[in-house]
Amino acid sequence: MKKIDYKLLIAVVILTLFGLLMIYSSSSVWAEYKFHDSFRYLKLQSIFFIISLIIMYIVIKIDYTYYLKKANIILIICFLLLLLVLIPGLGVVRNGSRSWFKLGFIAMQPSEFMKLSLIIFTSKYLSNNLKEIKSIIKGVIPILFITILAFLLIMLEPDMGTGLIILVTTIGLLFVSGVELSFFVKIMILGLMGLSGLIIIAPYRLNRILSFINPFNDPLGTGFQAIQSMYAIGPGGLFGTGLFKSIQKQFYLPEPQTDFIFSIISEEFGILGSIIVLGLFAYIIYRIIKTALKCNDLFSKFLCFGIIFQLSIQIILNLGVVTTLFPVTGVTLPFLSYGGSSLLITYISIGIILNISKNNVN
Amino acid sequence: MFFNIIHKRIKIFFIFVIIMFIIIFLKVIYLQVIKYNKLKNGADDLWSRELPIEGDRGLIYDRNLDPLATNLTTTSLVLIPNQIKDKELVSSKLADILNVSKEDMDKHVYKKTSIERVHPEGRKLGFDVSNKISDLKLDGVYLVKEAKRYYPYNNNLSQVLGFVGIDNQGLSGLELNYDEYLKGKSGSIKYFSDAKGNKLDISEIYNEPSNGMNLMLTINNELQKSVERELDNAVLKYNPEHALAIAMDPNTGEILAMSSRPNFDPNNYKKYDTETLNRNLPIWMSYEPGSTFKIITLSASLEEKTIDLYKDTFYDSGHIQVENAKIKCWKTGGHHAETFLNVVENSCNPGFVVMGQKLGKERLFNYINKFGFGIKTGIDLSGEASGIMFNIDRVGPVELATTSFGQGVSVTPIQQITAVSAAINGGYLYKPYIVKALLEPETNTQIKTYDKKLVRRVIKEETSKEVRTALESVVTNGTGRNAFIDGYRVGGKTGTAQKVNNGIYMTGNYIVSFIGFMPSDNPEIIVYVAIDNPKGVVQYGGTVAAPIARNILYDSISILNIKKSKKAAEKKYQFNEKKYIEVPNFVGKNISELGKINNGLLIEYTGTGKRVIYQSIKSKERVLEGSKIRVLLGD
Repeated sequence: MKKIDYKLLIAVVILTLFGLLMIYSSSSVWAEYKFHDSFRYLKLQSIFFIISLIIMYIVIKIDYTYYLKKANIILIICFLLLLLVLIPGLGVVRNGSRSWFKLGFIAMQPSEFMKLSLIIFTSKYLSNNLKEIKSIIKGVIPILFITILAFLLIMLEPDMGTGLIILVTTIGLLFVSGVELSFFVKIMILGLMGLSGLIIIAPYRLNRILSFINPFNDPLGTGFQAIQSMYAIGPGGLFGTGLFKSIQKQFYLPEPQTDFIFSIISEEFGILGSIIVLGLFAYIIYRIIKTALKCNDLFSKFLCFGIIFQLSIQIILNLGVVTTLFPVTGVTLPFLSYGGSSLLITYISIGIILNISKNNVN
Repeated sequence: MFFNIIHKRIKIFFIFVIIMFIIIFLKVIYLQVIKYNKLKNGADDLWSRELPIEGDRGLIYDRNLDPLATNLTTTSLVLIPNQIKDKELVSSKLADILNVSKEDMDKHVYKKTSIERVHPEGRKLGFDVSNKISDLKLDGVYLVKEAKRYYPYNNNLSQVLGFVGIDNQGLSGLELNYDEYLKGKSGSIKYFSDAKGNKLDISEIYNEPSNGMNLMLTINNELQKSVERELDNAVLKYNPEHALAIAMDPNTGEILAMSSRPNFDPNNYKKYDTETLNRNLPIWMSYEPGSTFKIITLSASLEEKTIDLYKDTFYDSGHIQVENAKIKCWKTGGHHAETFLNVVENSCNPGFVVMGQKLGKERLFNYINKFGFGIKTGIDLSGEASGIMFNIDRVGPVELATTSFGQGVSVTPIQQITAVSAAINGGYLYKPYIVKALLEPETNTQIKTYDKKLVRRVIKEETSKEVRTALESVVTNGTGRNAFIDGYRVGGKTGTAQKVNNGIYMTGNYIVSFIGFMPSDNPEIIVYVAIDNPKGVVQYGGTVAAPIARNILYDSISILNIKKSKKAAEKKYQFNEKKYIEVPNFVGKNISELGKINNGLLIEYTGTGKRVIYQSIKSKERVLEGSKIRVLLGD
């Protein structure tokens, strides 16, 4: 019997539908104000959801070994796209980053595609060179070099959130592949140095970190988003204000349907919102980890893990930022935040995992 | 298997994810439970806008709870520009109703602010105007309650009460001094809005304002009205530069009435100049007291027993030589041989010079200081002056001599009345005060009361009694006879002081004064009156100020319910004065008998019959000789 993991599929769809509801709730005030159409963001995201479902359906049909064969080509195409997006005229600036292609009414982020394609490539690389991986120079450095190349291109946009996720995903895959732990200690030291370097290049990042330590020091500047997020989560209380009754979405929190959608969920649903979101995420992660453990070949195991590792890091980063555990980084919340490219890529990833789940059931 | 290490590390990662989820979950609970109050308050401040509502200012009452300063309820216009939909329309309608130009109104309506108070055009609107505005039912246009201070008795007690500005803040007088008690605490209507200022559909929160405390004064408003009336009459009659009067309870230091001219109407204070508004003359003005100051010299002499009023005598030749100065008596030719009681009755300057000389400068100035001259009395009103005394080191025989009869020193009216109170009340110098209690605004229960405050004991009871007796004979026999009230024992002293301009005495320009009290055996009220430069009259305290003080004292009989004295002194009549006579009993008598009984009354008959059945003035009342009495005849 070759059956896909329906439990995972159902969990993902439920979470996305809940996301659509909350995108409507959090964006309707802004949408009415900007476009005189309170349903605008809901409509667009619904279209993306349908497209994502169709594409996922196709992806489920494609045997995952196809990506093993095409990994190099896919990576090269993504690199080209990352270069092209930097060219003014082709790439469009949004929120200070030249990271978008505008195709008609649809906007696409090549860095989103890079995230997946690098997982595919790294999985292939690791499954082919698992013996050499014990050697840092022969095994680790080459794949790290490619990753850093992608990272640097993304930092030119600049989009630190996505860049860091790509970097961390490769390191996560290296960790699972069995690289010695002392290597990660060195990486961590290097990472801290790199972070210092980034701060020296652009001091606004230091402000973000400082405002993270005490957002109320600069409530209208760097601490603004953190404070607005807390003013949503806190006053909602354990039981929330009730669906559609958020006050913070009334122009206090800018673009509440994107990075800070969890603040509005918490405000309206209280503790129940956290349980729904964290519970569904935990269940999805659990199902994919289970699939990864069951995989019989190294490539699919790495691919599965790479995908769920990346998703988990994004979830933790986003929720950490929203609850002010971490400084503001600008990472969206998978399945829930408004954004077409992100949803599409997430659904393609889930499609790949569902295909793997079908092929690897013992 | 080589999968082992991979699976182990995958599981480690999964555990890491679960731990992070738990931390995130706990952080959410932390924000929603432990930080709830702090964040909720912060967010409320962020979300809410407040329409201020003023608390009522406390009322000011006299001692019998007669309101002297009250509030009228008015409304004020407040705009929330973000909520106004049709700004053109709102601006032109409001401009119409408030009778201001549309340009001026536009400035308020189009202002980029969360709340705009339309100041001053939209402040303190009457019922009609605010009704017109509320009838329009415009979004973003609010009318909030605002009280307007109102003084029902207009000029009455104006300098003491002071006045308030447009924001009901005390600007002078008691309104300023007791501002922190009188002013209420503002409340608000709190409503919620989005970040762009639009009102959200969340119920409003009403923070009740708290009203200020009420003030109860020591003032007796009936007596105050009498004082005001007397000063008005004095102004009409004499057209003086200034006129002032104080009435006090000598046994406590409570001010019963206080006023001066020129005064003002605190309801329309803007019409008056700042000197009129800010100078409360009874405590601010300082001048040479003249003969009223002799009471101090007298008290000191009696306390030190340097003279005997009845036994010691003095011959007044009309002047006395002190070193190079020749000090004249006011009476040309002098009073000739006198006892010291006569010296007091006659207000004889050379006699007082001798009293001062007997005391010596150390003792006299010691008493002057003990009676409170030269420093502020500390009355609970602002703007008090301290007067000027000679520096004792520079007092020679001439300075000692002039000080003895009240020249060359400068004192305030409040210092004089306070000092004389001590001289006649048994010797106790009390601090004068005007606020009797702070009252709770709803029920008028007394929250804090102010009691009499003894500054020091100055003279003994026996001395004080002698002073009273001497001053009573000034009224019955001496210069103060114009203050005499038949049937009551009145004591007092006149004063006539030459005014000084640039160090030179001015001619024909005096401040005439009188200080009087009653009943003189047990004083219940003391009154001080001073008229600055009265015109068209002989400028003597006895002729100008004493009759005014007498009228005030006379009114106080019924106001303070002062009992008639049994042993009232008979006045020593001068040849041209009318006498007081006791009305005989006519009722029940025959017409033929009336002529025999009548002792100098003008009888008017009404009705027919042979016997008197009613008389308009009761028997044993005392009236002036020649007064009219009506009798009703019947059978």
